[in-house]
Amino acid sequence: MSNQIIFKREEEMPYLPISLASMAWNKTGNWRYLKPQFENKIPPCNEGCPAGQDIEGAMFLIGEGKVLEAWELFKEENPFPGVCGRVCFHPCESSCNRKDFDEAVSINALERFLADTASRQGKRLSLKRERRKEKIAVIGSGPAGLTCAYHLTRLGYGVTVFESLPVLGGMLRVGIPEYRLPKKTLEEEIDQILELGVKVEVNAHFGRDFLLSDLKEYQAIFLAMGSHRSKNLGIPGEKAEGVMSGVEFLKDINQGKEVRLGKRVAVIGGGNTAFDAARTALRLGAKPFILYRRTREEIPALAAEIMEAEEEGIEISYLVSPVRLMVENGKVSRLECLKNRLGPADEDGRRRPIEIKGSNFFLEVDQVIAAIGEEADLSALPKKIGWKENVILADERGATKQRGVFAGGDIIQQPRTVVHAIGSGKRAAIFIDCFLKGNQWEGLFDVLRIGERGSLSIKRYLQGEEERRPLSNKTVRLKDLNLDYFDYKKRKKMPKAQISKRLESFAEVNLGFSEETAREEAGRCFNCGVCNLCDNCYIFCPDVAIQKQDDSQVIDYDHCKGCGICVEECPRDALVLVEERK
Amino acid sequence: MKKIMVGNHAVSWGVMLSRAEVISAYPITPQTTIVEELSVLCADGRLKAKFIPVESEHSAMACCVGASAAGVRTFTATSGQGLALMHEMLHWASGARLPIVMATVNRALGSPWNIWGEQTDSLAQRDTGWLQLYCESNQEVLDTTIQAFKIAEKIQLPVMLNLDAFFLSHTAEAVEIPEQHVVDSFLPRYKPTYRLDPKDPHSFGCLTPPEYFMEFRYKIQQAMLYGQEVSRQVDEEFGQSFGRKYGLIEAYRCQGADLILVTSGTISSTARVVVDNLRDKGRKVGMVKVRLFRPFPKKELLEVFRDAEKVAVVDRNVSFGVGGVFAHELRAAFCNEKVHPPIFSYIAGLGGRDVTPQVLNDIVYQTYKRSWPEEQSVWVGMNT
Repeated sequence: MSNQIIFKREEEMPYLPISLASMAWNKTGNWRYLKPQFENKIPPCNEGCPAGQDIEGAMFLIGEGKVLEAWELFKEENPFPGVCGRVCFHPCESSCNRKDFDEAVSINALERFLADTASRQGKRLSLKRERRKEKIAVIGSGPAGLTCAYHLTRLGYGVTVFESLPVLGGMLRVGIPEYRLPKKTLEEEIDQILELGVKVEVNAHFGRDFLLSDLKEYQAIFLAMGSHRSKNLGIPGEKAEGVMSGVEFLKDINQGKEVRLGKRVAVIGGGNTAFDAARTALRLGAKPFILYRRTREEIPALAAEIMEAEEEGIEISYLVSPVRLMVENGKVSRLECLKNRLGPADEDGRRRPIEIKGSNFFLEVDQVIAAIGEEADLSALPKKIGWKENVILADERGATKQRGVFAGGDIIQQPRTVVHAIGSGKRAAIFIDCFLKGNQWEGLFDVLRIGERGSLSIKRYLQGEEERRPLSNKTVRLKDLNLDYFDYKKRKKMPKAQISKRLESFAEVNLGFSEETAREEAGRCFNCGVCNLCDNCYIFCPDVAIQKQDDSQVIDYDHCKGCGICVEECPRDALVLVEERK
Repeated sequence: MKKIMVGNHAVSWGVMLSRAEVISAYPITPQTTIVEELSVLCADGRLKAKFIPVESEHSAMACCVGASAAGVRTFTATSGQGLALMHEMLHWASGARLPIVMATVNRALGSPWNIWGEQTDSLAQRDTGWLQLYCESNQEVLDTTIQAFKIAEKIQLPVMLNLDAFFLSHTAEAVEIPEQHVVDSFLPRYKPTYRLDPKDPHSFGCLTPPEYFMEFRYKIQQAMLYGQEVSRQVDEEFGQSFGRKYGLIEAYRCQGADLILVTSGTISSTARVVVDNLRDKGRKVGMVKVRLFRPFPKKELLEVFRDAEKVAVVDRNVSFGVGGVFAHELRAAFCNEKVHPPIFSYIAGLGGRDVTPQVLNDIVYQTYKRSWPEEQSVWVGMNT
């Protein structure tokens, strides 16, 4: 550090006001009343992801061309990025701040891109763990069960997964058609879980082949049997030949069984199962149509799936309820329907359909597929687990009322989506670990939560207290950003297979991003609340008090006067101004 | 080579011949055609300069400050309101000792709106530390532009050259265009002592405490006073190189004059005709054109006024509450002289009103008639 230069006479001074040495001796930091600090906050996409993935972090890495690192980041939280990148309803995108600026970042397609890239390059997980002696049984190999098994294995436990079907994957395997989720993608991600050392027992049907009481050798149990029982239509004639449930139909097709459909196939329902069933029937050469009792406004299926079904030429009739199936020669032949109008909203906020008397009409049908919802079969569980109306009443950890028994996925009270199932599997793994170690769990939510919507980070859990960076309790919103620094830029769309090609086979409809498109799209990410070393603070600081060090920016508090310009000019709310305490 | 050109283009050509390297400006009537022509000269490659369009005159001057600190020859031009908007940066430019050259096309300040000639805009900037030169003809405009860079760079202070709106800016005259190589040897490349340089970092204009601030101000004052001598030398050298010189002031037919008119800018040309006519009639009238206003050439003026009985100053400007600025400056300059003629102050031609020979005749006769000046400036050429 230089010393101060003292001029005694006017002639000694330069003719113009210019510094002749550094002013670093002048520690202007003691003028400060307010103090800027780097503080990463919660990006809304991370908060919105029930699986708790560090989406913002992955967007940054993809933008840098570090695709495999991005994949590893996702894999820390979720063993299924290839699956989620195809079938997730992507609440991350509806949380994305960019959606109120121009259009949300195409996160879902990017998740798929990083998984596909890792797959193409044969990337495998590396794992360091210390083995623990405890054993855990997981019942069900759907996304909840396998996610729980994955994380427990990473935590060092011996895990056995029991699956009633001959194949693994649960609904991912038997409920989602090939054209949306190729078996190869699913199998690869399942194989990666098994390679960690997870044991599996297939054709082991809980309730038929074993009960909880048979699992005494396991110190904890995770229940994730899913909801595989279709709800009945509850109308006359539904037991006739030519009537089947959507779940049953998809399960058969996905296991390679031959199903004979007639030409005219009526699919009843408006959920993803209904659309999957109709689009599968179409690919088998039938002419399916969908009957839904409310309107497009209330329909629960994914918007993209509805659009794709329409593109493929499937007719959707709204405000129609079936009332009777008519049978000819022991086989269904006609479907009697009623028209509805919308009444007031019911408990879930959707307007209730009200039948219009005398509006009956008839449809000629060869086959009826009922897809009005699924429910769990919990009959093999002891009552003391705690369940009501086919739903297990698990606590905030996913624990049931029976000690050591946890539950997740579609059998607990939560939205029935793949990503919620994954989130619940991870949560159970964390709290099973706590349970087995006899650790306190009450304070953990504050440490692990990502925002306010229930997502937890197992990465933080695995880090151990000292390594964890302090967690902000603030989720960044659009108003928190300095939008002057962002340009409008259209969201990239994933290319799709031609419609004529789609109908010929079960080949995948969506074709994924190229690396160039992916990097460009990831570059649209605002990196809300997370410093991405954009250098704005460095450029703007009038006191050169932001200093660049390797991979971070550091504030030189000896000279920072606390003017707050860095905070103001930070595009992404990654700096805060706090009161100086002296 | 002679070329017919308007006064504004004479500025542009002077800048081109001076090889300015950065030009930053914002358009304003009646200045616009200066930078318009410069942008053409830059675009077609005749002038190898960076032309930086900006969103305001304040930014234009800020841009010039940066460019000049980086060590390049820098130019801008403005008028009236634009100059007023620049005010803050004018102080900065002189305080930072940057040899920026600016052409001001003198225009009346609103309100009410007026786009015509008046010197109040530049005279209101007399305390900003800029040298000020006032021009009478398009030739003088071009020549003064070249001189201005040389003066500025020698004393490290900015120079403003002024020309009357429309009377010069938009009026075409024959102008002798100097040869480039002669200009190059008269005005070599600018070599600053200090400049912004990433390889040799310094802070410019940083916070300066009371212990040092006065010394910097004193240095500016010294430089400004020295500027008078430098301006004279540069004009002499210019005369040797190009055969034309203008002086800090110009005395016209002042030999044996009992009454001397003091003018600046284009009014001087009208005054020459009036003086000639009056001399023909036997009246001993002369005229002094003040070319250098800052620093004020007191010594030269006193010399010319030695034998005159009366001095009548014609001001196309007004400092409200005082009156004509040139007259006020003269009075202030002479007040400690034991002997000097009484100074009569007249205001004429505000907001572009013509100052005709009749107006100047009226001033001469009023001055003859009065034995002693009125305390306040007398307004002439008013609607009656």
